[in-house]
Amino acid sequence: MSIVVLEHVSKEYRLGDHMVRALDDVTLSFESGVFLAIAGPSGSGKSTLLNVIGCIDMPSSGRVVIAGHDISGQTPDQLASLRARTIGFVFQTFNLFPVLTAEENVEYPLLQMEELDKQDRRERVKEMLELVQLGKFAKHRPSQLSGGQRQRVAIARALVTRPELVLADEPTANLDHKTGEGILALMRDINRRYKTTFIFSTHDKKVIDAADRLVGIEDGTVRILGVRKEGQWAITNVARRAASTTDTEAAALKR
Amino acid sequence: MLSDTPAKRRRPTRLAFRAKFTLAVRNVLRHRGRAFTTLGAVAFGVATLILSQGFVEDIFVQLGEAIIHSQTGHIQLAHEGYFVHGAHKPDGYLVADPEGDKARIATMPEVEDVMARLGFPGLLSNGRADLPILGEGIEPAKEEKLGSFVKISSGRRLKAEDHFHALLGDGVAKSLRLKTGDRAVLMVSTKDGATNTLDVEVVGTFQSFSKEYDNRAVKLPLTAAQELMNTKTANTLVVSLKQTADTRKVANTLTERNVWRDQEVKMWDQINDFYPKTVALYGKQFGGLRMVILLMVLLSVVNAVNTGVFERTAEFGTARALGNRRRNILEIILIENSLLGLLGVAAGVGIGVGLAKAISYVGIPMPPPPNSDLPYVALVRVSWNAVITASAIGFAATFLASIFPAVKMARMDIASALRKAI
Ligand SMILES: Nc1ncnc2c1ncn2[C@@H]1O[C@H](COP(=O)(O)OP(=O)(O)O)[C@@H](O)[C@H]1O
Ligand SMILES: [Mg+2]
Repeated sequence: MSIVVLEHVSKEYRLGDHMVRALDDVTLSFESGVFLAIAGPSGSGKSTLLNVIGCIDMPSSGRVVIAGHDISGQTPDQLASLRARTIGFVFQTFNLFPVLTAEENVEYPLLQMEELDKQDRRERVKEMLELVQLGKFAKHRPSQLSGGQRQRVAIARALVTRPELVLADEPTANLDHKTGEGILALMRDINRRYKTTFIFSTHDKKVIDAADRLVGIEDGTVRILGVRKEGQWAITNVARRAASTTDTEAAALKR
Repeated sequence: MLSDTPAKRRRPTRLAFRAKFTLAVRNVLRHRGRAFTTLGAVAFGVATLILSQGFVEDIFVQLGEAIIHSQTGHIQLAHEGYFVHGAHKPDGYLVADPEGDKARIATMPEVEDVMARLGFPGLLSNGRADLPILGEGIEPAKEEKLGSFVKISSGRRLKAEDHFHALLGDGVAKSLRLKTGDRAVLMVSTKDGATNTLDVEVVGTFQSFSKEYDNRAVKLPLTAAQELMNTKTANTLVVSLKQTADTRKVANTLTERNVWRDQEVKMWDQINDFYPKTVALYGKQFGGLRMVILLMVLLSVVNAVNTGVFERTAEFGTARALGNRRRNILEIILIENSLLGLLGVAAGVGIGVGLAKAISYVGIPMPPPPNSDLPYVALVRVSWNAVITASAIGFAATFLASIFPAVKMARMDIASALRKAI
């Protein structure tokens, strides 16, 4: 079953007098359990695409189905429960609450779930902090943690609600290379062990190599689709403009 | 293990009040710098409001006491019409039995003392020039106790054993160039058209809170005034109370009791219009000042609250990405700022009342108020009324100031809010 289905999705922003087309007729679908990279240069529409998938931004046109829910025409508040229960978010800037400790940050999304009592929440938080190897840092505030540790807390927070889908917008962009690799390895490990779907964006070609699926986008349109089998990328060009450009892109991405 | 069943996923989520409250408390307690900005603005505002109001209130209270203890006493009783027409026809409004009435009034527990006065218009002459004056026959011993605000600028007060002696208002003494020990002649016309005179020795000069009064007032022993006016009685009974706060109550009782037929009872602030006029004038001036203070307080609170909210735009975007609703953001911001408002008010009341006490302990030396020559020491008087008003303003300002940013934050679309992350 496809966990994400996008059909002819476009997103336009008004910028002064003219319109910016951040997504241009994007049609995609992802299977549950994939570890998928959305790659493209800065400004290509990666964040916009992730925001649409994450139900925090509405497309200007097109149909979006997330985990079986058709979200077309719904307000952000109507989608709040879906976000809370089905989707986990990891951000480039970590976005932890600075006034909460690591464990309080991880607990935060659970506070909306009335079926969980204090004990349930405590267990889940503990389990998640251990999963990201931060059991000892439960009482630390974000300012007392390194960038990599903060991102691990954020991953624990994204997973604590047991979502089907985790969206990570450039999760390693604010980390040094080695720490970034650690974060990717952690996400990859969770993806393997628990079959949680991960979709992350990046403009870093090295990060792409951690993925098993690839969507290359540029100027708001999908240019290439990649599937990795036994370490080798099988790339499909989604040629809409001159084929030569796309080939170059694909080659660049594949390298 | 990391997945929930589809049925569970359909359950609606709701952010518990406890969660919002806890987040608000932690934002207040764990982000000291930001909390302190808002808290400080509120506390400063509340303290300033308490102090400014306390300062004005003290001026009014002190002015009232000055009037009471240098001129009017707390309550005066006279024959009906005396207060309006008596100045020109003092012997037309005499109290029939001043001693008996005094004794009857003195039985009231709130009353400190009752004394008779005999006022009359006349002329004072130094032998070369005459000055129209308002004479006042008084009971020296009792008046000395009441007259704590009368400043003797030269010589001495009248004493019980004085008879042909007079104490002159500063202005009178200046106009006639009279000094302590000089002799002067008081002249009055009686109702049958004759002129009576009395030779008096000046024992001293005085200042009350009012220059106008000091320019006309001549005090002499009641017995001497009675001799001059050819009467055995007086035209006003002056009641002095243990506490100024009892004035209205006692005045009402005296009115009801009808100490004598055709009596008229007036409280100190009704006897002349100086007090109400001054209160109105000062009220207006300080009202303007307080508006400026209020505006500054509002601006600083609005600014602090706005900064505190808008710098966290990305945080609120994150909360909504995690499933919080618009309402939750609104609630979190309002709860947090209500807390800040309450804490700020508490701190402001503490600071305001503390400073008021400290300032009152030291005292602010003030120049003479308009129409007076007497400098005085101002205090800051803290009333419940002032504390409650200032607290209400402080809290309301914080709460209202948080509505706009709260609504704005709640309305913001999530993606834009998240883009504010640094
Ligand atoms: N709120 C917005 N208003 C106007 N333009 C926007 C807005 N958000 C994104 N854009 C534009 O949409 C395009 C895609 O942006 P984004 O999805 O952030 O790209 P990426 O994440 O790949 O860097 C860019 O040209 C960007 O300037
Ligand atoms: Mg981006």
